[in-house]
Amino acid sequence: MLINYEFNEDKIQSPLQYTWSIFKRNNIAIAAMWVAIILVMIVIFAGYILPNTPTTQVKQLLLPPYWIDGGVSDHFLGTDDLGRDTLTRLIQGIQLTLGGALLLTLIVSILGTIIGATAALTKGLKASILHHFLDALLIIPTLLSALILIAIFGPSYENCLIAVSLSLLPQFIRAIYINIENELNKQYIIALRLDGAANIRLLRFGIFPNILESMVSLLNRIFSLAILEISTLGFLGFGTQFWDVELGALIASSIGLIFSSPWLVLFPGIAIFIIVLVFNVFTEGLRHAVIEGEDE
Amino acid sequence: MLNYISRRLNLLLINAFILTIIAFLLAQWSNGQSLTDTNYIIDYVKYISAILQGDWGSSIDNRLILQQGLTAFASTLELCIISFITAALIAIPLGIFAGFYPNHFLDYCIMTIALIGLAIPIFWLAVITTMLPRLTGITLPIDGGISPIFEVPVVSGFMLIDTLLAEDLYQLNAFYDRLAHLFLPSIVLSFFLIAEIIRLTRRSITTVMKSNYIKAAYANGLSKTRLVLHHVLKNALPSIIHQLRLQLSTIISFAMVIEIVFSLPGAGVWLLNSIKEEDYLALPAAVLIISGFILLFSIFIDIFLMIISPLKRKSLYVD
Repeated sequence: MLINYEFNEDKIQSPLQYTWSIFKRNNIAIAAMWVAIILVMIVIFAGYILPNTPTTQVKQLLLPPYWIDGGVSDHFLGTDDLGRDTLTRLIQGIQLTLGGALLLTLIVSILGTIIGATAALTKGLKASILHHFLDALLIIPTLLSALILIAIFGPSYENCLIAVSLSLLPQFIRAIYINIENELNKQYIIALRLDGAANIRLLRFGIFPNILESMVSLLNRIFSLAILEISTLGFLGFGTQFWDVELGALIASSIGLIFSSPWLVLFPGIAIFIIVLVFNVFTEGLRHAVIEGEDE
Repeated sequence: MLNYISRRLNLLLINAFILTIIAFLLAQWSNGQSLTDTNYIIDYVKYISAILQGDWGSSIDNRLILQQGLTAFASTLELCIISFITAALIAIPLGIFAGFYPNHFLDYCIMTIALIGLAIPIFWLAVITTMLPRLTGITLPIDGGISPIFEVPVVSGFMLIDTLLAEDLYQLNAFYDRLAHLFLPSIVLSFFLIAEIIRLTRRSITTVMKSNYIKAAYANGLSKTRLVLHHVLKNALPSIIHQLRLQLSTIISFAMVIEIVFSLPGAGVWLLNSIKEEDYLALPAAVLIISGFILLFSIFIDIFLMIISPLKRKSLYVD
């Protein structure tokens, strides 16, 4: 067999490719990634895949799921007390809850990174005022601040999203701030500074590659909290109104039916559980890949 | 040391100032006054002096908001304390084990429990738990704080202590009844807390296990129990306590949601009812009571941490 030892053409992988190659070895994380992608696809294309229209009412009320005696195949997960298809309402709920949480995580992370980085890289009175103000906002429990905002602006889906993002933003800013602050004292950052790097360059090439791991777990935490809080507010009746229902409101509307048809309460809860679980496993795998990539 | 305490007190004052401003703006808004009409600095001073004299206003049904709020929050705190003690007793040993044997089979099992506990929406778990007594045939109360047959006078606001104080009226029956009412809510809350404490303990222990002094202790031939008790736990506990302190507001939020599901009288039910009745004066009171408690408690924990771990003394800010 002819083996060419002299011209070993190993291409040097980019950091992204390298992280991906480590991530690929983790089977559970790959499976979670695909489920997460499917969930995101459901959110984007929910309008096209709904089996029924959410407001259509049929005469068969409180149908059980298809696989239980008395279920029909037209309504795979049964119907609710007004004869509306459960699967349709569940998909709509996933669209509102998960879509809202994804949008919110995106906005919070962009705003939070900008404010946090500015606060960490400026000195003096401005930083101090921001610091104390954030401290005060952090000690108000998220549910309380969400309730205050909703009392002021009135309950609606948009206000619910704004309330949750305003209560999560201080947490994100604070975490980013601490991470950058810790990095700033390290010697390679000081070396970069001595080279005359401007703040943007310092952030892009010095700080962000090194706080990637904590960024991933931070994003995961903000996303999980966003899902749980949007559905909690919906459950308390401060989220979506009338026909549009997200998962928490679905649970709240069928609490009275918990003994006659428990699946109306079970399915939305399981949906929230699966969403949070899948995204957690996915980001945990990603975090491990980033750590391993840094170690080797 | 004095330097550290004065820094913390400074922080306390500034944060309390910001909190009172937020509460003042809320109170102004709920009274329906706009700020431009009057001189708001004078209004703020008036508001603060009224707050300091205990005149917090009264609700729509003519009850004093200060007493209502304090009693409600004491009930929430009772639920939090009971769940926290239960959760700490279960979760800390599990977390130590998981951190001590990383990548062991049992480690994976424990971390799976922790992941599930984090992913389950807490209000949904509470709703499911209200079905339990009916499904299993155990008689446990699923709503209310205490049976209406007991009329316990409010002394401290903590119902468990009050029922013990009212022992001459009902013997211990009222106390047991209160415990039974707290049983299911505290199980739900401690489920979340167990997951959180396991995660924090494991992360903290694994960080400590990587350090050199642990390797040195191994090389000296210390037994495992001695290693855990004397070296690992001592260095891991401060960061666990510190992280849990940051979670305090989340824990109180979840306790309030659980109270609403179990209709257990407390801060959650009080706030929800006030908002539904459009009695918005409860909101500034809640900000002052709940956040004031969290603020004082955080400062207290900070000073406590400084006493037990000298490394903390160097840190300038609360982080």
